[in-house]
This record gives sequence, C-alpha cells and structure tokens, in this order.
Amino acid sequence: MKAVRILGLLAIFVLLAILPRWIDNEYYVHQVVLIAIYAVLLFGLDIVVGYTGEVSLAHAGLFGIGAYAAGILNWKMGWPFYLAIPSSIFVTAAFGLLLALPALRVTGPYLAMVTLAFGTIAEILINEMDFLTNGPLGITIKKPALFGFILEEQHYYYVVVIVFLVAMLLVNRILKSHLGRAFEALRGSPVAADCMGVSVYRYKVFAFAISAGLAGLAGGMFTFNELYIAPNTFNFELTVLFLLALIMGGRKTRLGPVLGAAIVVLLPNVLNDIELFRYLAHIIAVGVALFVIRHVISGKRTFKPLVIPVVGAAALEWSAHKLQEMTDWRITIFGFLILFVVYYLQEGIIGWIRNVIGHYRPQWVGRALAIDKAGEGQVWAAPDHAVKKDGALLEARQILMQFGGLKALNQVDLAVTRGSIHGLIGPNGSGKSTMMNVLTGIYTPTEGSVVFNGSTISGDTPSAIALQGMARTFQNLQLFGEMTALENVLVGLHHTYKSNLADVMLNTPRYRREEAAARMRAASILRFVGLEAFMNEEARNLPYGRQRLLEIGRALGLNPALLLLDEPAAGLTSPEIKDLIEIIRKIREHGITVILIEHHMDVVMGISDVVSVLDFGQKISEGKPAAVQSDPKVIEAYLGGQAST
Amino acid sequence: MDILMQLLMSGIALGMIYAVIAFGYQSTFATSGTLNFGQGEALMLGAMVGLSINGDVLGGPYTNYWLMIPLVLLFGALQGVVVEFIAVRPAIKSKSEFGWIMSTIALGIIFRNVAENIWGRDDMPFPSPLPTAPIHILDANVLPMELMVVVGALLMMLLVELFNRRSIYGKAVVATSSDRDAAGLMGINTGLVITFSYALSSMSAAFAGVLIAPITLTGASMGAVLGLKAFAVAIIGGLTSGLGVIVGGILLGIAETTTGFYLSTGYKDVPGLVLLLLVLAIKPSGLFGKTTIKKV
Repeated sequence: MKAVRILGLLAIFVLLAILPRWIDNEYYVHQVVLIAIYAVLLFGLDIVVGYTGEVSLAHAGLFGIGAYAAGILNWKMGWPFYLAIPSSIFVTAAFGLLLALPALRVTGPYLAMVTLAFGTIAEILINEMDFLTNGPLGITIKKPALFGFILEEQHYYYVVVIVFLVAMLLVNRILKSHLGRAFEALRGSPVAADCMGVSVYRYKVFAFAISAGLAGLAGGMFTFNELYIAPNTFNFELTVLFLLALIMGGRKTRLGPVLGAAIVVLLPNVLNDIELFRYLAHIIAVGVALFVIRHVISGKRTFKPLVIPVVGAAALEWSAHKLQEMTDWRITIFGFLILFVVYYLQEGIIGWIRNVIGHYRPQWVGRALAIDKAGEGQVWAAPDHAVKKDGALLEARQILMQFGGLKALNQVDLAVTRGSIHGLIGPNGSGKSTMMNVLTGIYTPTEGSVVFNGSTISGDTPSAIALQGMARTFQNLQLFGEMTALENVLVGLHHTYKSNLADVMLNTPRYRREEAAARMRAASILRFVGLEAFMNEEARNLPYGRQRLLEIGRALGLNPALLLLDEPAAGLTSPEIKDLIEIIRKIREHGITVILIEHHMDVVMGISDVVSVLDFGQKISEGKPAAVQSDPKVIEAYLGGQAST
Repeated sequence: MDILMQLLMSGIALGMIYAVIAFGYQSTFATSGTLNFGQGEALMLGAMVGLSINGDVLGGPYTNYWLMIPLVLLFGALQGVVVEFIAVRPAIKSKSEFGWIMSTIALGIIFRNVAENIWGRDDMPFPSPLPTAPIHILDANVLPMELMVVVGALLMMLLVELFNRRSIYGKAVVATSSDRDAAGLMGINTGLVITFSYALSSMSAAFAGVLIAPITLTGASMGAVLGLKAFAVAIIGGLTSGLGVIVGGILLGIAETTTGFYLSTGYKDVPGLVLLLLVLAIKPSGLFGKTTIKKV
C-alpha cells in the first residue's frame, strides 16, 4: 500500500516537472500556473467554507490585497519576489484578522454580507488610494529575477508549483491535526465545541486568518505571474468564481480545489470555442435523454424530477444554436453551474467520486487512526485540576435568571459536595436545563454568582469554564456528526495539546508525542464507555443509545473535576440504562463529581447521594433521595392538587 | 449652513431608497429566515424594464412614467416568484443555509449578465417624469423627483403595513413571521406566504429602481452596491423593525452625501459598509432589533 502511494507521488512529481516542456506553449503554461495559484487560494477558502462552514465573499478582496502588497513592495521599494510574496502572506493575514475580529461574531447570511462588504471596500480603496496603488491604471512590474537571472514563464512555473505543493502539504497537516478537528467541531456543533473548551469564536478567527494568509500567498504569486494588476480584477465575480470552483471541485478535500481551479481557469477557453460548446451541449442532451429513459423504464411515474433536467438541457441546446459566441454569457453559465452544483452535486466532483467508490469499501477505511494498544490500563484516571479538599466543589448562590419578564430561575442556591452524585429533578419547565446552562456559562445569570473549585466562574465564557474542569453532555445530542467516535473524543482532549501552528506545520516531535498520547487516551475512554467497536464509525451513524454514551466519553476527554449529565437516560432501553448506571458509578469512583439531571426516577433515586428539586424556577426541596421522595411539596409538584392533605 | 441643509435633504431622499430595498430584505427574512442576495439585481431589473417601457431603449416609449409603474411592479413581483421558486424553495426544503445563499447569489449574477447582454454595459439616463428645475425648501435646492422618492417610499411602506394589519391575508403573513410551524399547523399555506413575501420583496426593489433611476443613471451594474448598502441599513435598523429601516436609511443616506461632499465621491460607499461592520461587531441585532436567546 505504502509502495503504491510513493510510486503515485513520484509519478505526479515527474509529471509536474516535465509539464512545461510537454505543453511547450507559453499561454498554456501561464494557465497552468494560474490553476496552481487559484488552488492555493482555494485551500484557504476551503478551511473557512468547507471546515468551519461559513460563506466568505471576501476572498477576492483578500486575494487583491495580497496581489497589491507584493506589487507595491516590488514596484515602489524594489523588493525581489522571494521577499515580496512572503510579506504579502502576513499583510493579508493581518487584514483578514482585522475583518474577522468583528465579523465572526455573526454567522451565516450576516457573515456572508459582511465579507461581501469587506470585499467591496477593498476594491474601492485599491481604486481610490492612487498615491499607493496607482489607482485604476494599475501597476506594471518587471519579470521576477533570481540573483540576476530573469525568470521566464516556464521558470516561474517551477517556483509556483513548489509553493503549491508545500502549501498543499502544510494545509493537509493543519487540517489533520487537533486544529483541523477544532474547525470541524465548531461547524458540527458550535455550542458543544465551546463546552469542550474549544472557543468557537477564537478558532473561527484563527481559521479565517490562516485562510487570508493563503489568499495573500496566492495574490503575491498572481502579481508576478500576470506582471500587471488592476483594481477591477478583484471584483465580486472573482469571489463567486472562487466559491464555484471550491464547491464544484469538492469541499474538505485537497484534490477538489485543484480540480475546481482547473475548471474555472479552463472553462472560458471552452466558451471561446463555440463549436466545442455545441458539442458539449449535445453530450449533455444525450445524458439527460438517457436519464429520462432510465427513469421511465424503472417504472417511476413521477415526472416532476424530470422537468428541470429536460428544460435545462433544451435551453442549453437552444442557446448553443442561437448564439454565435458565448464569451459575453460566461457569467450566466457560471451562475447556472453554481445552481447545478448546489442542487445536484452538493459534495462536488471529488465527493461524488468518493461516494461512488464508497459503495465498494467502508467509508471509514481512509480515516482509521492508528492507535497504540498499550492504552488499556491508563484511563483518564483522576481529574487534571487540583480539587480543593474542603467545602463544596460547586456553589451557586442566589441565582436569578430572567428572560424578559420570565424568571426561569429565582434565587436558587445549589451546593455540590466533592465526590458526590448530585441529582437535579423537577417537572418540565422547572428550570433544570436553564440551571445547567448557567453553570456551564452558556447563559450569564442576571443576578447571583457561581463559584467552582474556589473561583468565581459566572461571567466567564463556556470554553473558559470547560477548561477549568467542568464538562457536560446535552439533552438533545450535540455530537460532531461527521467526525468519527474517536475524533469526537479527541476534540474533548483538545486541551491536552500545547503544540502551536508551527509545531503542526513542521510536524515536530512535540506535536507527534502529544497526538499519540491523546489518541491512546481517547481509545481508553472509548473502551471505558464500551464503544471500542465503533471507534472509527462516524458519530451520526451510531445507534441512539451509543450516541448518548459517546457524549459522556467526549465529556470525559476534558478530564473534568465535575461532570454535568443532562438527561443521559432519555430514550434509552432498560438494559442500556443499566449499563449507564454502572458507568456513572465508575465515573464517580475515578474521583469525578457528577450532577445528574434525569426524569427516570429509578435512576436518580438509585445512585444520587443528594437530590435537589426545582419547580417553577425555585428550589422546593433538597436532601437524601428517600427524604425528597416523601416530601409533600415534591409530590404536589409532580402530581399536583391536594396530595399533602 | 445651507450646504449642510442641502446635504441633509439629498441624504434623506437617498436614505428612503435604501429603506425601501431594506424593507424588501425584512419581508423575506420575517417569513422564511432567508434573504435574497440578488436584491440589488431586482432593483436594477425594475429600473431597466421601466426604462424600456418609458424610454426609447427598446423601440419605446410605449407609455408614460405613471402607467409604467404598475407594469414594473408586476414584473418585480413575477421576478420575485422566480427567485423564490428556483433558489429558495428547494433550499428551505433541504434546510440548507449554504444552499440559498449560493443560489440567490448565482441568480443575481445571472440577472446582471443577462441585463448586460440585453441593454449593454453602459449607463443610460432615465427620462424624468417631473420638471428637473430644483425647488427651494428650507435654504436647500430639492429636485421634485427627490420629493417623489420620499413620498413614494413612505406610501409603499404604509400600504404594506395596512395590508398586514387589516386584511386576513396580511394576518397570514404576520402569523408565518412569528412562527412558521405553528402557522402551518393552523392551516396557513406557509409556502405560499413565503412566495408572496419574495414577490413583495422584489416588487419593492423594482419600485425603488424606478424611483431612483431618474435621479441617477440606469445600468446593469447599478444594483450591486445599492443592494449591499440596503443590507447595511436593514442590519443597522434591525431585521425585525419597520421603523428601524427608515431611521437607518436616513442615517446612512446623510452619512454618504456628507462623505461624498467633504472627502471625495469615490469614497461615498465606504461609510455605509464600515457602519455595517461596526453595528455587527457591537450590536448584531441592530439598533431597533430584538435579541433572541439561543436554546440548548
């Protein structure tokens, strides 16, 4: 297997090395260089769009900033390309940071609009600041030179290809590391990522800055490839083109960006040749006809799914015959391609090919992470954080949580003794989940304070609280669905990494040591919750009960002093509940304090040391399970009416 | 003093245009939680179709300005229905935010490119239906068309508000806005309401297009920046507040005319976009919007 891979890589290197001689046409070599440059940008765009799941419309602007940074440094200060291009990485990353710090407080359509605004501002400023950028006239620079040797197109090709390969390698390393897992996790479930100590905001900004840096790198290389840059190159259309290339090639892959870049660079050439375009239209028409025939033969009587392909193919055929030249309709065709990809090819071409291959081999084969068998004995053991011996581990004082006029929690006190299992019960709407959210920092209480392990935590962010040793599970599961069970737990173990971006990119011994240790620990945690058989299965494919256990496993990854379980038994079968009780008991034996919210009374009453009862946002009872069970107030709250009389 | 007054007046007229477009964003966001990223193109198409009917671009003029308006409104509504049907409905069905963002962008660039191919890439003047001699109001020169913009914009928003409050169909829209699922369970065809909101949204953009066209120039690229700045207005005012867009629009309009005068017209688009960044950074729900609490 390894030999095949090495041979494959060797073949690619040889192909890339002889490509310029083989093509032997300056224009086409120039196009290939452009593909490599776009691909570098798309690697970056993929980090934002594919991994963190946000739409960025700023990348043409960032690309322009990179291009102009290199251009100005070369044109005004005479910096050679090997200094100017690296500088544009940092300049653009700084601009990206400037945008990301305010903008990433919002998501989705808001962020798309904000990034669009940024791209527009960048274009306007480049156009207007003519003292720096030479305005609409643009900048013309000389061919790059290396120690007096002028680099022609076929020489510059090698520079770009080497940068491209290095960028591919580094991006791959970043996305395979704990940083990449953090990016993927915050897309899968932002709130869970925060509660695992992975600050969503911080990692989004980080992802955006890396992405901007790559856009700057691509921009710098673009300047020395084109030798002339003007403001209107970096417009909205280019941004849309980048997005099309990425989603068409395939998100979350390295090959997808390369393929997508090749398509958007080469497609205009195809459109210039009307004969070729007509030929393509015929092929598509035949394809649609085959699809229709297959649909009819297979006996389906629904004609609705046929309407759009047939109308589309007919329109394409008609326009191919009607129009004498396609160049003016380039953007329209890009627009229709986007619609096509969004509705029919969501995973992109590479994703589609993978799905086809995936029919013949299990999906996780490529993702299986090597694990050292030695991890059996060393479970997560004791909490990481030194727990103070005396007093309560967690103390909530006079918590008031108000939503408008509604007091979801009204002056509630809660003290949790170290090493105990503390049950928290109450009818629906009594404020249990609100309490959970206040304790973990998702809500900031209107009044009152929470003291955890000797320090006040109310007001801290969820990720900061998580890192102090408080972990939780969620009532409605918040797993990172597209990640494997092992990767889910590894996100919980994110706090064990000290490695930074440089460690990851250089694959230093420190990073490799930490990664190996984390995997061993994750494997032992999965063994502990009984999921070792599902290690490399994607979380969304696990049965429901197993997903609940995986949530507990992921929370244990944090190595918490306190674990909050929000209805862990909901929806479980009775044998599964038995296993769950056993696991909770064992967790306590490892020195972890547990708060348990649960509706199954047998579970709560069976294992809790202390039980608190909430009703309408107030604590109505607290004590040993037996005492609480016979408290008339509790019975009244649950059954209503005159139980006490 | 009178120069400031002048800037204020032009700023208000410009701001009302933004308010009308932003109003369109609000109407779709309320019913479906989606936005048309091609809103600026809807405005451009409205202006272009208006010019074709009213001007001599495509063999016209066919009618006068006032009879052209209902035709443009009708066209705008149809265009909105097309956008909803192609770009939004499938994405809502598959609950894909990425889907509707990308497909409304795609439709936007298609519309712009088609317009370029039909009407050309150059900006064209739009014949003004009112006299072009300015009138003096409070020391400032005001074009009659600018007054018409303010009156038209207010009238349109008033009519929609009345429709929402007084008619049973309006109630359906309001119900869908406050809870789509519950409204659906009560027998309201929420799909139809969303289609309607898109028709209304594009209609108001098209209306804004024929209002602003006589003051500025008409061209295929006129919509893009207008649409973006109107989004800034919708955000500044809050996506849920009707009064907010008027205040936000006037604020931005004045900011723009003063920047254009004191700095350079090249920079006039910058304050709106910077304002957008700032508001989102400080108060993402807008000056008049309500913050929503996320449930876990």
